[in-house]
Amino acid sequence: MTDVTPLGRRLPRLPDGFAALGAVLIVAVVLAAVLAPWLAPYPPDEPRPLERLLPPSGAHWFGTDQVGRDVLTRILYGGRTSLLIAGAVLGVSAVAGVALGVVAGYAGGRVRDVIMRVTDVFLAFPALLLSLALAVVLQPGVNTVILAIAVTWWPWYARLAASVAASVATRPYVDAARCLGVPAPLIILRHVLPNSLTPVLVQLSLDVGGVILTSAALSYLGLGAQEPVAEWGLMVQQGQTLFSTNWWVVTFPGLAILVTAFAFNVLGEGLRNALDPRRAVR
Amino acid sequence: MTLLRAERVTLGYGGRPVVHDVSLGVTEGGVGLIGESGSGKTTLARAFLGLLTPMSGNIYYGDQTLKKANLRAFRRDVQPVFQAEALDPRMRVGRSIAEALPRAARARVGELLEQVGLDPALAARRPHELSGGQRQRVVIARALAVGPRLLILDEPTSALDVTVQARILDLLASLETERLLITHNLAVVERLCRTSHVLFAGRVVESGPTARLLANPAHPYTRALRDAVPKLGGAPPEARGRTEAVPAATGCPFRLRCPLAVAACEQAPAPRDLGGAGGTGGMEGRRVACHRAEDVLSA
Amino acid sequence: MIEVRDLKVRYGGRLVADVPELDVGAGECVAIVGESGSGKSTTLLTLLGLTPDAEISGHVRVCGVDVLTASPRALREIRGARAALVMQSPQAALSPATRLGVLMRRALRLHGRDGSEQAMARAVAEVLLDPEILRRYPHEISGGQAQRFAIALAVALGAEAILADEPTSALDVTVQAEVIGVLRRLRRERGLALLMVSHDLALVSTIADRVLVMKDGAVVESGPAATVLAEPAHPYTRELLEALP
Repeated sequence: MTDVTPLGRRLPRLPDGFAALGAVLIVAVVLAAVLAPWLAPYPPDEPRPLERLLPPSGAHWFGTDQVGRDVLTRILYGGRTSLLIAGAVLGVSAVAGVALGVVAGYAGGRVRDVIMRVTDVFLAFPALLLSLALAVVLQPGVNTVILAIAVTWWPWYARLAASVAASVATRPYVDAARCLGVPAPLIILRHVLPNSLTPVLVQLSLDVGGVILTSAALSYLGLGAQEPVAEWGLMVQQGQTLFSTNWWVVTFPGLAILVTAFAFNVLGEGLRNALDPRRAVR
Repeated sequence: MTLLRAERVTLGYGGRPVVHDVSLGVTEGGVGLIGESGSGKTTLARAFLGLLTPMSGNIYYGDQTLKKANLRAFRRDVQPVFQAEALDPRMRVGRSIAEALPRAARARVGELLEQVGLDPALAARRPHELSGGQRQRVVIARALAVGPRLLILDEPTSALDVTVQARILDLLASLETERLLITHNLAVVERLCRTSHVLFAGRVVESGPTARLLANPAHPYTRALRDAVPKLGGAPPEARGRTEAVPAATGCPFRLRCPLAVAACEQAPAPRDLGGAGGTGGMEGRRVACHRAEDVLSA
Repeated sequence: MIEVRDLKVRYGGRLVADVPELDVGAGECVAIVGESGSGKSTTLLTLLGLTPDAEISGHVRVCGVDVLTASPRALREIRGARAALVMQSPQAALSPATRLGVLMRRALRLHGRDGSEQAMARAVAEVLLDPEILRRYPHEISGGQAQRFAIALAVALGAEAILADEPTSALDVTVQAEVIGVLRRLRRERGLALLMVSHDLALVSTIADRVLVMKDGAVVESGPAATVLAEPAHPYTRELLEALP
């Protein structure tokens, strides 16, 4: 029987080492961003017309850009912006989404219907399009990027939290608490919320890369961070015409995005496997 | 007067009834609800706990329907004991037990743990650090914390090893609360309940004093259940009728499985008292919903 | 059919099962009884080479094959066809999107057996299932039907032995009676060897010829079922018997 009936068919998984690699990379990226003022060899926003578009060398490891700023320095500072955006977007999305989601999931019935219809409205817009519209209406800048992406991001957390909370709400320990007369808000806070968080944590780490890429896309379209703020997407956008002649201006910020997104993704994947081996809750 | 009783209760989910027109009360000496999977016994338990509102009929708490009753008093009086998995996996068991206690009474946790035969030091553990039997004791301690008069026990021992099961049953038997026990295990009912009701497909098919009901069943389903239980050193358990036949939608729900079914069974049998009105000749308190009860009894 | 000598199974140096002797002949039924953590399931899985992470010593022969030294290919043939494993909830092991008939035909063809409709209908009829069940999906059948289907599959594959891990403990008693009835008949009519792991002493006493009682990895008592259960020699066996309600 064991030969014919797939005993728990498994999707291919990354080896555990990848998750550890992801974690190490994330620590490195975060440290680099935090310590940028001390690590960076040059000031981040001081144009030096005489040192424009120098190729990588001992003095400028990643070369310089079109106004003569050190690319490595810009990447270190850009990490602060990108991580700030990711942290703010996901923080807002997770708090708002999970709060609404667990209430919807626990309450069920009409409450759930109303909350879910609202999230559906937000989900009906393509994320990038809504962000674009918002970014056009509002003043472009880091705050706008955060707002624009968060508005399209939180409904996913609401949905995820609602479905997990709905299943947690049927557990016998929740029934037991109701029978003890514990009020609903306390049941949600004490039992439903803590037991619904694992998939949310996994989703958060999987999403960091996505937010950075989206914010990069907005910056790339000129709707995100504005000069002279250093931001990875903006750097790629401004350097794109130079790719054939001065490849380093585009390549290094592009790599920074890639490596960071990759690191958070494999960490998230590892977390998912570690915390939820049967993938039961999604 | 009984503390809790159902009157003509129909229960279901999403408009589809799974328990039909059930009336029964929790009387002294323990009441058993016997049924297999899909019989509706857990649904009935949820209604008794006020976790599910009946589609029709009423649950009475004293002389008030649950809707109108003082819910605080009801929650204090009626507590569930679910299976051992009914503990929040992230919460220290001491906190679980203390959840409904006023702050001043938190010190009673140790006392409650001792009452169910556990070391008070276990309060600091989380559920996964305890054995199945210990977890079940914690579940019982939590229920006892509010000083209930009635415990609704839903398969309280079925996930446990036999030796552990025996000790939990001893503990439950020693408690001074009334009890409504929901189980598929006839031996457990015999031990803890003076009166029993047998549920099949959401209907009470037979009721009566547990010992007599199991010694001399009047419903073919009760008999099939009893005969299917293996006895130490006895003959291999016997299957009567086809267990995979689904409950009939009209008439007697058991008729498609019943070895005694006749044409009359296409009419749903009304529950009736055995041995005439009031019951005589050892048939006191026995009720059955079967056209052929006399044939089952004399077989 | 099954022959075990001095089997010791360790995980990370810890002895989890120690079985000095266990034999199951054709048409015999032997039961391993114990509570959770007794090593009874580990023993059963080891006999089919299904404990890959364990350190194992001793001799295990199943259907004439030395399991502990057999090639993966030989092991597959044993597990797949000659000695079938029946689990507590077989539904989990049935691929959910495939009809039972398709599952069965694939299994039969894989082992070079007759996969025709008639052969399959005969196999399921032998466990008292309606051949109509072959057109259903795993989630459309009950636990008892799934268990009997698993047994039908084993029989159609030509199994000489069935190793069952708590085969009826997830089932209602009326359904359990039916599954046990099927197993008893197959034993009688086909000379099937049956090794069963169970926590239910009463059930075991009604069908097993011999019993091994395990506790904390060790066999504390073994012998003919009637003797062990009527005159238990070990205090633990007595405790188990007294715990019976």
